[in-house]
Amino acid sequence: MGAAAPHIFGIRHHGPGSARSLRRALEELKPDCLLVEGPSDAEEVLELILHEQMKPPVALLGYVPDAPRQAAYYPFALFSPEWQALRYGLERKISLRFMDLPFAVQLAMDEERRKEEAKAAQTAEGVREKGGEACSVEALDKTAEPHPRQDPLRWLAEAAGYADGERWWEHMVEERRESGELFGAIREALSALRKELPPLEDDKERHREEVREACMRGAIREAQREGFKRIAVVCGAWHAPVLDLEGHAAKDDAALLNGLPTAKVKTTWIPWTYGRLSFSSGYGAGIESPGWYEHLWIHEAQIAEHWLTRVARLLRGEDLNASSAQTIEAVRLADALASLRERPLPGLPEMNEAIQAIFCFGSALPLRLIHEKLIVGEVLGAVPDSTPIVPLQQDLEREQKRLRLPAKASQEVVEFDLRKETDLDRSRLLHRLNLLGVPWGETQRARSKGTFRESWRLQWKPEFAVALIDAARWGNTVREASSARAVDRAANALDLPTLTRLIECVFLCDLPEAAENLMTRLQAVSAVASDVVHLMDALPALADVLRYGNVRQTDAQMVTYVVDGLVARICIGLPVACGSLNDDTAAEMYARIERTHGSITLLEKDEHKTMWKGTLLKLSVLPNLHGLIAGRAVRLLFDSSVMPSEESARRLSLALSVNADPVPAAAWIDGFLRGSGQILIHDERLLQVLDAWVTGLAPDAFIGVLPLVRRTFSTFPSPERRSMGDRLKRGAKPQSLKSEEKTSEDFDVARGEAVLPLVRQLLGLGER
Amino acid sequence: MAEILRAHAEQQFASELKALAKADERQKPPNWKLSPWAVATYLLGGKLESGGTITPKYIGNRRVIEIAVATLATDRALLLLGVPGTAKTWVAEHLAAAVSGDSTLLVQGTAGTAEESVRYGWNYARLLAEGPSRKALVPSPIMHAMQDGKMARIEELTRIPAEVQDALITVLSEKTLQIPELNEQVQAVKGFNIIATANDRDRGVNELSSALKRRFNTVVLPLPEKADEEVEIVRQRVEQLGRALELPGELPALAEIRRVVQIFRELREGKTADGKTKLKSPTSTLSTAEAISVVNSGRALAAHYGEGKLTARDLAAGLTGAVVKDPVQDRVVWQEYLETVVKERDGWKDLYRACREV
Repeated sequence: MGAAAPHIFGIRHHGPGSARSLRRALEELKPDCLLVEGPSDAEEVLELILHEQMKPPVALLGYVPDAPRQAAYYPFALFSPEWQALRYGLERKISLRFMDLPFAVQLAMDEERRKEEAKAAQTAEGVREKGGEACSVEALDKTAEPHPRQDPLRWLAEAAGYADGERWWEHMVEERRESGELFGAIREALSALRKELPPLEDDKERHREEVREACMRGAIREAQREGFKRIAVVCGAWHAPVLDLEGHAAKDDAALLNGLPTAKVKTTWIPWTYGRLSFSSGYGAGIESPGWYEHLWIHEAQIAEHWLTRVARLLRGEDLNASSAQTIEAVRLADALASLRERPLPGLPEMNEAIQAIFCFGSALPLRLIHEKLIVGEVLGAVPDSTPIVPLQQDLEREQKRLRLPAKASQEVVEFDLRKETDLDRSRLLHRLNLLGVPWGETQRARSKGTFRESWRLQWKPEFAVALIDAARWGNTVREASSARAVDRAANALDLPTLTRLIECVFLCDLPEAAENLMTRLQAVSAVASDVVHLMDALPALADVLRYGNVRQTDAQMVTYVVDGLVARICIGLPVACGSLNDDTAAEMYARIERTHGSITLLEKDEHKTMWKGTLLKLSVLPNLHGLIAGRAVRLLFDSSVMPSEESARRLSLALSVNADPVPAAAWIDGFLRGSGQILIHDERLLQVLDAWVTGLAPDAFIGVLPLVRRTFSTFPSPERRSMGDRLKRGAKPQSLKSEEKTSEDFDVARGEAVLPLVRQLLGLGER
Repeated sequence: MAEILRAHAEQQFASELKALAKADERQKPPNWKLSPWAVATYLLGGKLESGGTITPKYIGNRRVIEIAVATLATDRALLLLGVPGTAKTWVAEHLAAAVSGDSTLLVQGTAGTAEESVRYGWNYARLLAEGPSRKALVPSPIMHAMQDGKMARIEELTRIPAEVQDALITVLSEKTLQIPELNEQVQAVKGFNIIATANDRDRGVNELSSALKRRFNTVVLPLPEKADEEVEIVRQRVEQLGRALELPGELPALAEIRRVVQIFRELREGKTADGKTKLKSPTSTLSTAEAISVVNSGRALAAHYGEGKLTARDLAAGLTGAVVKDPVQDRVVWQEYLETVVKERDGWKDLYRACREV
């Protein structure tokens, strides 16, 4: 052929060491054509790399415009060798190309594969959860055990006794300073590694890898044909050995590339974060410590000194003691540790251990802060304004069109009837956007009664566009992004009330995937929550969901599990939590006990009921309990027929005995009777108990308790009081307690059933 | 000579230390008997090229020992922290034995530890007869260590009163000990260092001043990482103790030990072994040592009052006692654990019922 042999640089994705040696090697070689591993149809947006607003970390995003869930990302950090290569190529204005499979083919292959998997899953085990929802990124995220091809250099480093591939590279390159030879050596090492490792078990994956490598070789041949003299090829080290054109016939490669599926795709740049860099993504290896790598990229020498000084400054900023003397000691200890382990340079593990022993006095807590702020780093990239629009925005526009809910800069109030499909979808969209930090709509108090009405005030502000781009890192559709955001917020929510609010929000947004995750989180948080009050606040919402919510079967199971745990914990912890309450907190606790009782009744589980009754019984005999709670506990027990009427009457007279302190006694009767005016009129038993007690009082005692009883009765509206008086005037029926029991025995089923059809009609349940 | 109940580490493992010294060709810090590598090997165990085997003295995380040895090699003082029963003293003794060949320079920290035990005291008869002189001086273990370039040990550093602790500051930073009465000073010989231990559960006793804290590298000794490791430690100790106390009855079944260790670990870590359910942790330490005592007392109960075989009933009382140290909070934690975890677990019904009865 006579064409110039390409210079192949096998690099480590996101490796600052590789980036540095690559940059040096490129400057030595001065190539006239540069081929980089990346989707070949993304070249149109390459120009933006040199834009002054472009700030890594950023990601090259390819997506199918009609279905943005099908997307692939190629993230770059400042210290990514590919990024450095691209910048070099653009700055020198040499011919610069991507040589990997185009996005169009990659996404089409992903989609095909997903369809096949979905089909296989369906035939294998009926309907499987994931279905069409998993996007390709997610699928790739899930690879549990990283295959060596993702980070082959780490394997070599480990074989050489290093904990981190970067430090190994650093050492190899910094010591030798002969990068050219080094790339050759790496290629040799990798071809040995590739020979040793078994081929990929998954046929599809193997095929895909073959196709990708064929495509890269094709690009090299193309460049040779065009007559470039010094071709530089930058690719993941794993691919380096097979990009040799010898041993691979052009014909075979062409056959592999023939007839590949394609999809219509769009490409753009989106801001990325270091946090997301630590996932593995469409580009292969994710890295665990982007912040540390950035540090390695910025500082060429005295890594430990600089790093530990940064750590000390960070700790000082958090009001933790960190002196320069400690920094000096930490550097010494890190060095000593490295030499004890027979490593030439201290790596991240040595740094962390030195930090823990010297700055943190053995505690691991501050290390978490260091991990978050320095080792991973909270850096968000930026892309130029002229970047093409992100899919999340497109999805929103599509939704706005579908729901006929245009974005307007003026304020307007809209009302939704949640029984209508469109209005329900609109409400969900607004709730989801709120969750994403795009407060387009604000809920208003609905004017009419009924839970199916919702009122919103809408106003679109220009800054929402920015918020949307920011939110784009959570996903490509509003639904998907809000779901991911909810999951993230749940992961950061530490206390139960926050989590409970989030759960209510997620149910409003109708995000079953997030709900599932939230339940797991709730389960974890509720187990360690020491405040029974929070547990009690969390229960009603969940009970409602369980009883009325249209959650899917699996979620219902999960919710049941969580609710079971909540009830058990509430029942155990409540008596302790009710100790020494003042009037205000007792009133709050009263309301909570009511709500909890309501939820437990709603759930209709015998197990819960028994436990709850046990707790109420415990409460009712607890000494020094606030009267309001004690009274209510007895009343609830009386209502659910756990405590016989005689016993309740005895408790009543005990609590209101003449010798009792009037204030707690007033609270007791208040707790016993609060809000029961109507019930007193209709519930014969309760009236009996009260009546028997009042009539049994000695005249002096009656005068003594009269103010207390009056205080409670005065809270009932006067018509209620009047009808109560009427009933009592007509005379109490002493046998009524027994007659009630009798009716239940003599119940005539046939007569009862006769009215059912009419009742059904009234309730609109239809004939059955 | 009567038989000694317990030999010093350097006596008991003299042959291993000798074999290591012979095989050790790496660079030694001045006045060290072994190189840092050999010290780490002595504690963690391993095989020598010459064929000898070194038994592991510390079973657990390798990192911990490496940091400890590296600290001593950088002439910084070492503070071993940990809950009771995590082998702090054990590690300190073996470190001193391996580095200096002498683990006897020991100051036992108590609330009554006086400055004399950290600095020096006087032989009063001589002081009165001859006046102040080096001969009338009674050096403390620390002063001895400074003069000979050896490791000194301080047990329970946080129990020592704060003003006595402060006497250590100059020793640690300037490596000298002033004797104002004689207008002299003792300068530490290379190889001198201090290994201190402290209990981080009752750190509040005499919290170290930040000046002193800064002069120590702190290494926290963790509780056993793997369940199997802990079960093995408990099993061995129960066996040994049973033999020493001459307990009748059969050895407890491994399954029961496993159960006790699992309960301890779950409560300690605040989650179930399968990692699916979170739990509250009680205020009690729940160290391995306590697990040993629960199994042992259960065994004694079974032998003397039960059927001779360890059952859930024999364990219940000990378990409840070990977990519930605070009558209010811990009881809630324990009940929650019983209701949400023990009750649901297959084959644990007997334990659930037994614990409910207690």
